[in-house]
Amino acid sequence: MSCFALTTINASTTMLMQPMPTLTLASTASDPATVNAALLVSALLFVCGLVGFLTRRNMIIMFLCTELMFQGAALAMIAFGNVHHDASGQVFVIFILTVAAAEAALALGLVVLLYRRRETLDSQAWNELKEA
Amino acid sequence: MDFATLSHASSIPAAFLLAADDTGVMTSPAAALTIACAISAAGLALIMQPGRQGIRTAGTVLALAGFAMLMVEVLARATPHGSDGSMPPVFPVVFGFITLFGAVRMITHPKPVFAALYFVLVVIATAGLFLLLGAEFMAFSLIIVYAGAILITYMFVLMLAQQSPVAGVGDAWYDRLPREALSAIVVGFVILATLSNAFFSPQAQSDRADTFERTELSGTVNAWQTLDAMPKLALASAQAAYVESLKSLKSSNDGATTSATTAAKIVALVPDAQGNRVRTRGADAFVMAQFADGTTIELALPVSALPTNSRHVGVELVSKFPAGLEIAGVVLLMALFGAVILARKQIELGEDERRELAGMRRFTIEGESGGTGAQR
Amino acid sequence: MILSIASAAITSAVLSSSSADPIAVATLIKPAIASPELAWAGLILCFPALAAVLCAVCGAMRVKSKLPGMITAIALIAAFVTTLSLYLTCHDGATTTARTIHLFDWITFAWRGESGDWTNFLAPFTLYVDSLTLLWMLFVTGLGSLITIYATEYMEEDQGKGYVRFFGGISVFLFAMGTLVLGGNLLLLYLGWEGVGLASYLLVGYNYDRPSAVAAAKKAFIVNRVGDLGLAFGIFLIWLNYGTIEYDALFQALADTTSSAGTTAANASEWSKAAIPYLLMLGAFGKSAQFPLHVWLPDAMEGPTPVSALIHAATMVTAGVYLIARTYPLFELQPLALPVVACIGCFSALLAASIGMAQYDIKRVMAYSTISQLGYMFLGLGVGSTFGASYHVFTHAFFKALLFLCCGAIMHGMGGQLDLRKLSGLRHVKGFRVTSWTLLIGCICLSGFPFSSGFYSKDTIIGAAFASDDPLFIFLGWVAIVTAGMTAYYAFRVWFRVCCGEVLYEPDLAAHAAPTANDAHGHVAPHDSANSQGGHAAHDFHPHGPRFAINGVLLVIAVGAILAALPSYLAEFAHQQNWIQSMVTDSSAVAGAGSSAHDAHAEHANHALSFTGISDIHTATSVVASAVGILGICIAAFFHLTNRKAADRLRHALLSNALTRWLPLAMENKWYVDEIYHVVLRLPAWAIGHVLHFSDAHVIDGFLVNGTARIPLHVARVFQPLYNGALQGYASTMAGGVALISAWVFWIWLQAG
Repeated sequence: MSCFALTTINASTTMLMQPMPTLTLASTASDPATVNAALLVSALLFVCGLVGFLTRRNMIIMFLCTELMFQGAALAMIAFGNVHHDASGQVFVIFILTVAAAEAALALGLVVLLYRRRETLDSQAWNELKEA
Repeated sequence: MDFATLSHASSIPAAFLLAADDTGVMTSPAAALTIACAISAAGLALIMQPGRQGIRTAGTVLALAGFAMLMVEVLARATPHGSDGSMPPVFPVVFGFITLFGAVRMITHPKPVFAALYFVLVVIATAGLFLLLGAEFMAFSLIIVYAGAILITYMFVLMLAQQSPVAGVGDAWYDRLPREALSAIVVGFVILATLSNAFFSPQAQSDRADTFERTELSGTVNAWQTLDAMPKLALASAQAAYVESLKSLKSSNDGATTSATTAAKIVALVPDAQGNRVRTRGADAFVMAQFADGTTIELALPVSALPTNSRHVGVELVSKFPAGLEIAGVVLLMALFGAVILARKQIELGEDERRELAGMRRFTIEGESGGTGAQR
Repeated sequence: MILSIASAAITSAVLSSSSADPIAVATLIKPAIASPELAWAGLILCFPALAAVLCAVCGAMRVKSKLPGMITAIALIAAFVTTLSLYLTCHDGATTTARTIHLFDWITFAWRGESGDWTNFLAPFTLYVDSLTLLWMLFVTGLGSLITIYATEYMEEDQGKGYVRFFGGISVFLFAMGTLVLGGNLLLLYLGWEGVGLASYLLVGYNYDRPSAVAAAKKAFIVNRVGDLGLAFGIFLIWLNYGTIEYDALFQALADTTSSAGTTAANASEWSKAAIPYLLMLGAFGKSAQFPLHVWLPDAMEGPTPVSALIHAATMVTAGVYLIARTYPLFELQPLALPVVACIGCFSALLAASIGMAQYDIKRVMAYSTISQLGYMFLGLGVGSTFGASYHVFTHAFFKALLFLCCGAIMHGMGGQLDLRKLSGLRHVKGFRVTSWTLLIGCICLSGFPFSSGFYSKDTIIGAAFASDDPLFIFLGWVAIVTAGMTAYYAFRVWFRVCCGEVLYEPDLAAHAAPTANDAHGHVAPHDSANSQGGHAAHDFHPHGPRFAINGVLLVIAVGAILAALPSYLAEFAHQQNWIQSMVTDSSAVAGAGSSAHDAHAEHANHALSFTGISDIHTATSVVASAVGILGICIAAFFHLTNRKAADRLRHALLSNALTRWLPLAMENKWYVDEIYHVVLRLPAWAIGHVLHFSDAHVIDGFLVNGTARIPLHVARVFQPLYNGALQGYASTMAGGVALISAWVFWIWLQAG
């Protein structure tokens, strides 16, 4: 609990401490260091997801890596929402979550059907759309 | 730039960074970031090689070094004009490290179920970062939805479609070997370098700082307006603020506490010309509280009366993005339909079944063979 | 030897005055009167054109009767009647006035030059009718209708197959010939020129399934083309120098030019004016088969006999003579042009006569005879006697057509046989009597037997040659006399061999075996063409004589050949002016018409033929030429009537003697002119063609076109491994693209910022 208190910049002496201190947006506007760290982590997450998508052969793990890319994007959204003191960033993350869930459902359904055809999850098994 | 405060979080390679002088000009800032990215990419490339453990260990070390360099660099740029004496940002670094560890482990682990579990770790660490950034609603909803629903679905499917490890061989071959790791790493490196330079260049950094200062006021005003969108909560907050203000007055006057129930009851808040009940003056908010007897006082609302993040996000979602909400619902509905259709099984009905469904007489008598039974 | 004589002639021609003063030439031509009321003269052209269209309709409707032939004959008779009435309209009393009849505006160009003044190029469809025109049109339409009637029977075997095509070609030919003669400007003449060339090609190649006929048609057209080039350039230069190509305006311009000394058209230069007659002459030699463009005429005998008679004897080949006669004032302006014409004409006459003496195919003999007689006509034009040339054209048309038609009748009835070694004594064969006697009349006229039509016309020419003061012309006159002897020899060689002696005939089996050869008309059994393929012995062959149409026409033309001398009979014995001479006098060829001053010339005491003791040059010429002709007939009688084996022995003797071996060989092989052309022209063209073909196929097509086409293929092969169907491969490519684009955009942002 004390760690949350550390993040306040505009510590106002007139602030009345409630028995259950709640975090409010204005008071927990983060410092640039946190934002920078968050942005770095988001870039790294995105890149890790991309690399994983391109290197893993298991189709389900490939889709999991796309979810990782979503994570990176969501983190970047939140960070920039913080910078702009706007809650739209978080609202958009809700939408990202929605889309990710829908996509995951359908993708997994398709992967299962594909697995039934070839009895393997190898993505190299589906290479028929190639030049003869 | 004081490195001493940061040195405990940095490793030795940090000393090689940034020949900065006091004028604030960094020699080739882009190069520093790019080099760090390159080191990280190299480390990752080494980690991804199957085979000897030694290579992977070396890769791990390299990747850690690169990550550390990046983090130091980034944090250094966050406060270019000297730190303001607050504590070094431990938690972002810790959470960031956990996130990266989980991500790297996820993309390199040969067993798919473990990869999914590491992804759960990533989600939790990311939720921690969300908390640090003040988005607690999103943090927990992330954990609930992602780790609790999507990842569980992934695990189900993994269990269904997983080929059991063959004795003596281990995991499925296509899980152990990466596919063209090198070109993927190169692509990743390019994107990482571009992104990091774009995010952390001095120009962008100063832009962010400016925006941060510029939008502070409007953000606070926005937050007060969301409170205005919740009339009952506004009333309750006003009442609590009134009680507290009476208490502080009384305590400053005679030190004795008065029961809260003796405070008068606010019945209504008077809206102003635009219809706002919660009015703002700069960053402060106040209300015109109306009592039962009709008298009104101006009541300042304390900072604690600001709505919580969840409430804020909720009001924003409904008031500013109603269309998105509806469309998100439609998207989920479509996903539902799609999943149902994909999961259908084709059932071949026999002759008898079909005739029965059509209300006609069966062909064969019960128990006979032929013409009955659903074929799959 | 010829070159030295030519150089001597050139110097003498430049120094001596020619037969007429150039200044007087152009002014003698009377301007034409515009006569729109005579527009019905356009029917002369419309009738054959209509016949051509109707023949095409018959062809489309697959008519199998003689209807196309009758249509053409009726149209041509109508054209002849129209021509006759036009003659009677224009010829009032003794003179004929020249008239222009404007039918419609054909080509009218006008443009503004740099200096702002207008230049125009006018070629209206105008008929220029003077007496030269009428003379030509009378015998063209007359003979055309007669020969068409002949052809209705001659071509009857081809009814349903090529009959319509034949008469369509004849109609087109007569339309074009009419345009050539009647046209009022040089462009119309050129139109007719090309049209007759086209008709000749179509008709010579009538039997298109015979490769020799196709080759002959191509040869005729191509050799004519060489001449047409000269004619075209000549017309261009005429327009450049005189500003007009219409006859009337041209003659007036010439009169103005020559009367006012020195002022010429703005952009004329001396060489272009001097080149005009030589270019026109080239065209005339092409069309009229003079050396060196004579090689097409003997091969053109591959066409059916009526075609040979009409086109290659009577009408088309005289177009060259007509051209020079029509543009005679232009020739008069250049002192060297007419001597060149005379030399080439005379040389061709000698050459062709020598070849004709050694040919066995009687049609070929007649073909070389045509070349030879045309040489006489050009000789006549060259020595300044357009009267002589036109008279010879007139008479030659009749007797040469007669000779060809007789050959055709022989071929028709003798199963395609034309070799005079295999025919004999036809005079006694039943049904061939008319043919034999009309052939005799033709040969008499051709050889210039005294008081025949050929006698008068040929002697006019030779007399004019001797009457001039030019030693070149006198030399040419002697050559012409020798040629006359050769002409008489080969003409009577044919007659004595074919029509006299014991009766002997055999059909031409090779020609008879082809059922579509329309000249093989012998019948084995009545109308039993099933037997005509092989197994057909000569002794089963029964010749059938020609029937009414052929015999009738032969008789009519024979009478015409005799009566063609009528103008001379009337001139000599009734002392009227020679009708032909009067026709020529009233035309643009008036310079050569021979005036009274010319007759005064004739009284010259000292002339080239003074050794005969006759003072009148023309009489002296007649005596000498007749003597030579009768000598030729006697030699022919010796070798071919009484002592036939002597000819073979003579030939053997000449061949065995090394000194004289070349003579019979050269004469039989046409003096190897065709072979020389083959080596000099055809082989290089063939070689160049192959080189170009190779470069086109390999360099242009192979390397440039196909090579360029292969570039995308190779480029695609470089990128093909990218499309291996692997999902992650595509994904990594996409990601790489995104990375590159984002890096590039960032770089730009960095530069800008």
